[in-house]
Amino acid sequence: MKKYYYWFILIALIIVLILLPKPLIVSPTVSTTLTVLLGLALVVVLVLTLRGHMIGRRTVFLFIGMSLTLPFFMNFQMPIKVSPEVQTLFDAMAKLPSGSKVLAAFDYDPPSAPELQPQAEAFMAYAFKHDLKVIIMGLWPQGPQQANMAIAKVLQQPGIRAKNLRYGVDYVNLGFQSGNEFVIQRMGTSFSGMFPRDIYNTDYDKIPLLNGVENFSNIDFVFNLSAGYPGTVEWVQIAVDRYGVKVGAGNTAVQAPSVYPYLSSHKLTGLAGGMSGAAEFEQATKEIGKANTYILSQSFSHMVVIAFIIIGNAALFVSYRKSKQKGA
Amino acid sequence: MDSALIGTWLAALLTLGIMSFIYKDNLYYKVCEAIFIGISAGYWFITYFWDSLYRKAWVGIVHQGDYILLGGVILGAMMLTRLFGKIGWIARWPLAFIVGATAGLKMMVYFTTNAMAQVHGTVNDMMAAFSGGDLYDLIGRLVILIGTVTGLIYFYFSKEHKGVFGGVAKVGTWFLMITFGASFGYTVMSRMSLLLGRIDFLLTDWLKLVK
Amino acid sequence: MIALLRIAKSVVFISSLLFVMSILPTHSVYSQDAGPSVSDLGSITVRAHDTDNDAGGAITVEWDDPGYEKLAGFVGFLIWRTNTLAGTNDSVEVTPFGTRTYDDRSVSDDSTYSYSVAALVNGERLMSAPSVQVRSSKQWFDGRLTWVLILGLIICGAVIYFIESAKRGTKLFLRRIAGLEAIDEAVGRATEMGRPILFVAGIQDMDDVQTIAGLTILGSIARTVAEYDTKINMPVRASLVMTAARETIKQAYITAGRPDAYNDDMVHYVTDEQFGFVAAVDGIMVRERPAACFFLGAFFAESLIMAETGNSIGAIQVAGTAMPAQLPFFVAACDYTLIGEELFAASAYLSEEPRQLGSLKGADVGKAIAMIVILVGVIATTIASAWNSESMLWIENLLRQMFSTG
Repeated sequence: MKKYYYWFILIALIIVLILLPKPLIVSPTVSTTLTVLLGLALVVVLVLTLRGHMIGRRTVFLFIGMSLTLPFFMNFQMPIKVSPEVQTLFDAMAKLPSGSKVLAAFDYDPPSAPELQPQAEAFMAYAFKHDLKVIIMGLWPQGPQQANMAIAKVLQQPGIRAKNLRYGVDYVNLGFQSGNEFVIQRMGTSFSGMFPRDIYNTDYDKIPLLNGVENFSNIDFVFNLSAGYPGTVEWVQIAVDRYGVKVGAGNTAVQAPSVYPYLSSHKLTGLAGGMSGAAEFEQATKEIGKANTYILSQSFSHMVVIAFIIIGNAALFVSYRKSKQKGA
Repeated sequence: MDSALIGTWLAALLTLGIMSFIYKDNLYYKVCEAIFIGISAGYWFITYFWDSLYRKAWVGIVHQGDYILLGGVILGAMMLTRLFGKIGWIARWPLAFIVGATAGLKMMVYFTTNAMAQVHGTVNDMMAAFSGGDLYDLIGRLVILIGTVTGLIYFYFSKEHKGVFGGVAKVGTWFLMITFGASFGYTVMSRMSLLLGRIDFLLTDWLKLVK
Repeated sequence: MIALLRIAKSVVFISSLLFVMSILPTHSVYSQDAGPSVSDLGSITVRAHDTDNDAGGAITVEWDDPGYEKLAGFVGFLIWRTNTLAGTNDSVEVTPFGTRTYDDRSVSDDSTYSYSVAALVNGERLMSAPSVQVRSSKQWFDGRLTWVLILGLIICGAVIYFIESAKRGTKLFLRRIAGLEAIDEAVGRATEMGRPILFVAGIQDMDDVQTIAGLTILGSIARTVAEYDTKINMPVRASLVMTAARETIKQAYITAGRPDAYNDDMVHYVTDEQFGFVAAVDGIMVRERPAACFFLGAFFAESLIMAETGNSIGAIQVAGTAMPAQLPFFVAACDYTLIGEELFAASAYLSEEPRQLGSLKGADVGKAIAMIVILVGVIATTIASAWNSESMLWIENLLRQMFSTG
């Protein structure tokens, strides 16, 4: 019976959650109370650890889960300051005159969507509002599909719907092409050589937006969303170094540190790294979306992680002390 | 019943199944894991089949007359001989082609962008610091300089890490560990973001508790 | 102590050399041009030539401004192109303030062109005389990358030299890699506990050099495993890696005199999907509870998941990768980590293959060049900034030119 006890609790919890009134937003007072309770719980864990009662990994998971979930119901707004690298990216986009052709390379898949999809949506909304012509492609199979999802969401905005944007004239999706960095290399001489048709099988020559677009020299800016290989590193190494095109990027937080050297050597024109980069990018483009919602949960979870690092080190010192006492 | 609703419930149950692993390994997790592995293997097979074999090879050669693609098809077929013991040596030729082409493309790219541009940038940074940067800027660039040089010394394999050289290499190790710590912090953010995405799906799309 | 004295002597010598050069008398070649007078405006002189260091299809237009830019009402310079073959004229670009050069990248190598430049002032076009006819062409060699070629040849030459030396039997010194002892310890522990070893050679295919390094170390581990009759389990993500790994382990068993103990199922393909693969590896770890886990190769986001799971089952873990983003997780969760190039050094150390040894030594030459250039560049920059010396600036500019990538 005890074995299934946890299953019963879980199922009961799910039933309660289904039956709760929706949407569920708590008042600022309740939000503050929950935050204080979470903090007190962490203090209790620290005290227990110092007294020698070590907590299990499942408790840590529970705290992380709570720190990520509870902010969804809270009404706090986090102030977000745009960092220099995101500002550089935005400034490069802001300098583009109306009608500029921007190549948007979607090099990620659904697992990286929480970090990169908000950036994609903010970028597409900004591009559409400022009459930038967007040419979409991807070096990952699901990338162009993620682009379509971002476009579908952005086209629902009233301001953008009123513009009556047309596929093939204001934006086009060339789809995925296998070959990794060889695709970028070949695009340097001929886009149509790598993408003879778009994602809907229309011939390259029949797409109005692509008239006169032969290679990178006809592109004003490249915006790359990347989750790994092939991605920003390859775009910088080939498109920037070899063909001199300007590339700005949004990366997952895992990849961002390895791309910073290109930022400091001015090969990369701006970088939005991870969820914080996505939130800053949304602020800079004034297209507030999911990233600004997520960032509160992100911040809570970071505080909990820091607390557990302190607790973990406290546990380490306690065990050192115990072993010394035993040795003495 | 709405197919989107079925899809949402299925996704939610599979998400919870995979997450149940954090408690302990169980049958529910094993079923979800098997489904994931099977679907992913099938998905990639279909993707490669339609994108590479059909779109590139079949359509390219038969419909567009791009006969140079035949070379790629032949090399690909040669690669499959790896699975057969006696004629497995044939697969070395297309592998040599891939390794050679990749090396040719990447060698100069890595040399210019990852090596020369970084050396150029490191010296350039010091110039910028002296001509107009503030004290913090100068300290920051000095840190980068010391980290770069000591890191290079750590990875120098032609001399034993002893004496002064060993001491400098140790400084390089500290810089590496501090960098790893910063990178780890970035990755914690990334992992939390992934979990956030799933929690958002469960709360917004499945339970509709949040708008 | 002697080494310390040698280093100090070298530093003092280089510093004093640079200092002496910095205080050598120099003369300034800069002379102040007299500004043009408004009333003395001549016509614009236009020069056009094939753009240097390109793959054709571009012509560079340069012009001198006798003073139009200083006039009130000046808007810009209009570049006017005549295609002498087709007999067409068209305007190409209006350039902003301060520009005196323009690269026209929309020409064909089959035609000749001539250019005129018009100053746009108060709605008027003050046209220049046309330039000579010019045709664009491609250059076989990009002169801006000459230093890239020279440095590339030096480093490649060093690699080839050391490879040939190693082939001739010269003993090339490589410092001891501490992680190799951890590998032996891990295998020994697995044998004592009677539990299997898990080996993951990364998630990339055979074209990745990290996979090859991982498989080389697998060969060494497999020999020990074969001798002590320890079980090895190796899930793979790429089918080619599966066949290569099977050959490696089979050879190790044959060398150990235990060909009957080898089984193809020791190496098995799982899936190409990244997280599907790691889910399977985690499942194997939790169910089979290997005593030692080796993660040697190229990894991406799945590295932390695997290392954490291995940590939770109490296995001794040795990892090695050259992916900078994944190293922190391995360092945090594994007992020993081969950081970056140490993976290749370990592979070269164990295999003693001339090509691997020579490549490593050649790479060391590259690192030494980078260190020296950075230190000399920074010393020159410091002295130039402090004493405003032209000779130091010359050294600085030379180094910048050498390491500029176009």
